[in-house]
Amino acid sequence: MNLAIRDVRRRLARFVGTAFGLGLLLSVVVAMQGIYAGMVDDATILTRAMHADLWVVQRDTHGPFADGSRLDPSIEARAASVPGVKRARPYTYQVIQREYRGDTMRIALVGLGWPDDAGGSLPIVRGRGLGQAHGEMIADASLGLAIGESLVLAGEPYRVVGLTKNALTSGGDSVAFVSVGDAELVAFDQPAEATQLERSRTVDRLRRTDLGRTQPSLEDLLADPKWRAPALASPPLAAVLVDADAHRVAGVRETMRSWGDVTVYSQDEEETLLLGGVVQRARMQIGLFTVILTLTAAVIVMMVIYNLTLEKTHDLAVLKLLGAPRSRLLGLVLQQSWLLGVIGYAVAYTIGELFYPMFPRRVLITSTISLVAPIATFAMVTLASLLGLSHVLRIDPARALEG
Amino acid sequence: MTDAVRAVRLRKTYGVASSAVVALDDVSFSLRRGSVAALLGPSGSGKSTLIKALGFVSPAEKGQVFFDDRLVVDDGVAQTDLSRLRRQHLGFVFQKANLTSFLNARENVELACELGGKEQGRRRARDLLSYLEVINREDSYPEMLSGGEQQRVAIARALANEPTLILADEPTAALDSVRSRSVMELFRKVAHDRGAAVLVVTHDHRALDVFDVLYEMEDGRLRPYQGQGA
Repeated sequence: MNLAIRDVRRRLARFVGTAFGLGLLLSVVVAMQGIYAGMVDDATILTRAMHADLWVVQRDTHGPFADGSRLDPSIEARAASVPGVKRARPYTYQVIQREYRGDTMRIALVGLGWPDDAGGSLPIVRGRGLGQAHGEMIADASLGLAIGESLVLAGEPYRVVGLTKNALTSGGDSVAFVSVGDAELVAFDQPAEATQLERSRTVDRLRRTDLGRTQPSLEDLLADPKWRAPALASPPLAAVLVDADAHRVAGVRETMRSWGDVTVYSQDEEETLLLGGVVQRARMQIGLFTVILTLTAAVIVMMVIYNLTLEKTHDLAVLKLLGAPRSRLLGLVLQQSWLLGVIGYAVAYTIGELFYPMFPRRVLITSTISLVAPIATFAMVTLASLLGLSHVLRIDPARALEG
Repeated sequence: MTDAVRAVRLRKTYGVASSAVVALDDVSFSLRRGSVAALLGPSGSGKSTLIKALGFVSPAEKGQVFFDDRLVVDDGVAQTDLSRLRRQHLGFVFQKANLTSFLNARENVELACELGGKEQGRRRARDLLSYLEVINREDSYPEMLSGGEQQRVAIARALANEPTLILADEPTAALDSVRSRSVMELFRKVAHDRGAAVLVVTHDHRALDVFDVLYEMEDGRLRPYQGQGA
């Protein structure tokens, strides 16, 4: 006769309620751990997705994510000419906010060095990479855009040709990828009035200089419809991504370090910069909260199990008096605790499957969490049972005689 | 008939030094199979202590207990596995029925059969419930049973392992006089039909005619019952 099952059967509603409550608690703990893992992953996913050996950024900056980085576009050609470099790609990064379909949409817009970089290294789950220099976009699925849908930025439509999964910034913003040229168009988009005013101011300044007086044809440049107000030169890049021969990465890096205007980071260093700087405080905050929540949940779970055991004190005393062997009593407590743990974990798993995808921040259930969560649950309920059992084993069967 | 249980010069003390209370004072006692004995006496006289000593729940510090003429406790030291002895050869009935709350009537008896190593526990449990005339409540949980029904199930449970000795500690304290007598008669029936020795602690003087032997305790000493006012 299985006493654990019979006890559960007799108090089924309460047992199920307790298991459900336990499941809710576990789901919160797992969610918190998943949010933490998601935050860490989000912080580095953008750098990892680019698959670059070296990140060349403005000297003495930690760009492009940690702080601003402005590189002269000529760095791209300079980097490409270094012996051992297979490919140098321009890279821009900016966060924009637009109203779309009545909602506020925050987009981290990354410029890819098309045609060398069409987004082939990105985690594209539907569609394709960029097929042309202008007017196409790869968007993260979390933005809610569909393949073929167009988003108007800087007055120009950008058609979504590919969808990525979990391409997010450390701040949780969804990422969209366009060509560097398009990213710059968006970055330096200005209303026509502002462009006109800036153009006339520039003409005035030009006419007051020797250059303008000796070369009046320069004014023709300002009449070019592609002219952009801030400067006549090409807009700066945020970074240049360098792919090098595997055995020559260190040498390439040394060469670039000798340049006075750049700082060079490896992929790992770039990720460390993000984790140690950009998301450090948030990560620690969430991390500490996760630890506290996990400990609190552990104590609650253990107290629930322990109290379930204490409630059986009288029944267990009677069973002891009847001569029930110790293994029988241990089985009653342990089996019930394990059943509670299994059901609780199943509830937590189901809740996770149903509701985690709806969370505003990504809940990343890593393989470690998937492995550790059930083991930790099993350990908690077992430990609580053992505490309860130590009590059970001390029960004097004479208590049953006391009525 | 042989002695089911025999106790020789049991002594048990609660407390220490000046506050020590002698609960059992050189108590010697024996009870034959097939006989039903009543143990009377005021509260605090040592009745429950004797029951606990004879049931191997709380052994006396001094003295010996023989079970089926085999020494099982000597000066408080177990000479055999007492838990096993309890589940195979002893039956308990308490003041409250103390049925296992999450088992129905039949399962309570069936569990005792199982613990006592008896086969076909379910059939045996049903037979015992029929014998005690509560078979119609076999699927009821303890809280659904009346006090009298609970005690009948408790007696059925006590009989489950075909015990040599049944110890009952004030089993009718919570029952009215009619049901009380009915339970006492059941003990007599069990003793006579099944050859068990039954020792019943009771304060109820109205059903003493049911018993074969009467004892009383006072201040830890045991003696034959001499009647009220003796």
